[in-house]
Amino acid sequence: MASVKIVLPGDIIDTRREEDTTQQESNVEDEAAVIRLGPGLVQSSEAVSAVTAGVLHSNSETNRWWVAGNKRRYVAAVGEPVVGVVVARHGEGYRVDIGSAHDALLPHLAFEGATKRNKPNLAVGTVVYGRVVVANSVMDPEIECYNSNTGKSEGYGELSEGFMFKCSLGLARRLIDTKAPVLAALGNGVPFEVAVGVNGRVWVNAGSVATTILVANAIRNSEYLDAKQCRQMVKELLEKQ
Amino acid sequence: LNRADGSAQFSAGNTSVVSGIYGPVEAKVYEEKLDRAVVEVKFRPDIGAPTTKDKWMESAIRNTFEREILAHLHPRTLVQIVIQLREGDGSVDSAAINATSLALVDAGIPLKCMITAATCAVLSDDTTVVDPTQEEIDAARSTHTFAFASGSSTGPLYVDSRGDFTMDEYNHCYDLCALATERVLAFMRTAIEGKVTKEAKISAA
Repeated sequence: MASVKIVLPGDIIDTRREEDTTQQESNVEDEAAVIRLGPGLVQSSEAVSAVTAGVLHSNSETNRWWVAGNKRRYVAAVGEPVVGVVVARHGEGYRVDIGSAHDALLPHLAFEGATKRNKPNLAVGTVVYGRVVVANSVMDPEIECYNSNTGKSEGYGELSEGFMFKCSLGLARRLIDTKAPVLAALGNGVPFEVAVGVNGRVWVNAGSVATTILVANAIRNSEYLDAKQCRQMVKELLEKQ
Repeated sequence: LNRADGSAQFSAGNTSVVSGIYGPVEAKVYEEKLDRAVVEVKFRPDIGAPTTKDKWMESAIRNTFEREILAHLHPRTLVQIVIQLREGDGSVDSAAINATSLALVDAGIPLKCMITAATCAVLSDDTTVVDPTQEEIDAARSTHTFAFASGSSTGPLYVDSRGDFTMDEYNHCYDLCALATERVLAFMRTAIEGKVTKEAKISAA
């Protein structure tokens, strides 16, 4: 991608690429290529138009197009890791607040090794790390606290102690990439555990309350800082300790 | 605005409007619609409590944006638009529409297009002024506000005309506002590109 293309809602997207025009004469099958639209794009009659503002991305191998933009309100999508808070217990499961318009359902048995006789007993207010299983516009989302294919928890489940705070969705996505500079810089200075949900919620647990707050503040501060500034900011915070 | 999902401030001359968006959030059961999001608008004047004029403005802005927000992507939710007039000096409705457009984009709410608005006044000496001040509006024979959808060749999404005017004057104002909204759109595009570039740079760093 040579130049960065920023689109606004209503912009018509030209999904042909330079390579296509030369190939069209030689390879007739390519003319009717299927274009897959990701977030931020919809098809209006014959054309593709953007519906959110952001950077237009495309993947030439899979012919997928999408718009990447930052926002704060989470909309659940299948397969995403999320951090939530239990707000209610029902017959079939827990109601978990994951920041989407409707609270998610977490079935009682959606934990590693859970059976009818042996299932975890979570209190209201418990922080959990789960994976979105069902997410569409017409149903309430559903999450599970283990990988239902392998049966292992793989890091999902109840998060005890520690502290959960909110951040923007863009920052959360950057943190999920484990090379995120703020996490690397903090890791060099203090031991801590972190669970990042793409729903803009981050859970942190370090040895003491002061250290936990320090890590939380460092992550919050890194929203608009680049790698070098992050390292500087973390250094200053650790020195002040 | 820290707590809003999206916010924007739009100023033209002395008129300044802040718009905040909350959503898509859970709608109350008696308010929710099963196939689309409910759009709610609250308009707060600069001084005093909201009056019927402000209620009218709320309804006008809601009608304008309800059709352009892709509400069918988020059934049973609520998109709440809160508009606060910080300083009013004429052309308040077009500033409110422009601020709301930008705020919806900031919140990431899917929109069919950008909506831009402009106000025009025909004065007693037959001259027309775009973005009139309150003084000019009070002295004008007629004022017209138009809001257009970006890139669309269909007619305006919102029209508000008050006073005595001829069809020629109306058409002249329509053309002037159409040109003015194009400039507003270009300005919005620059502002949004600046914000997106800043965020993208940080992600890439």
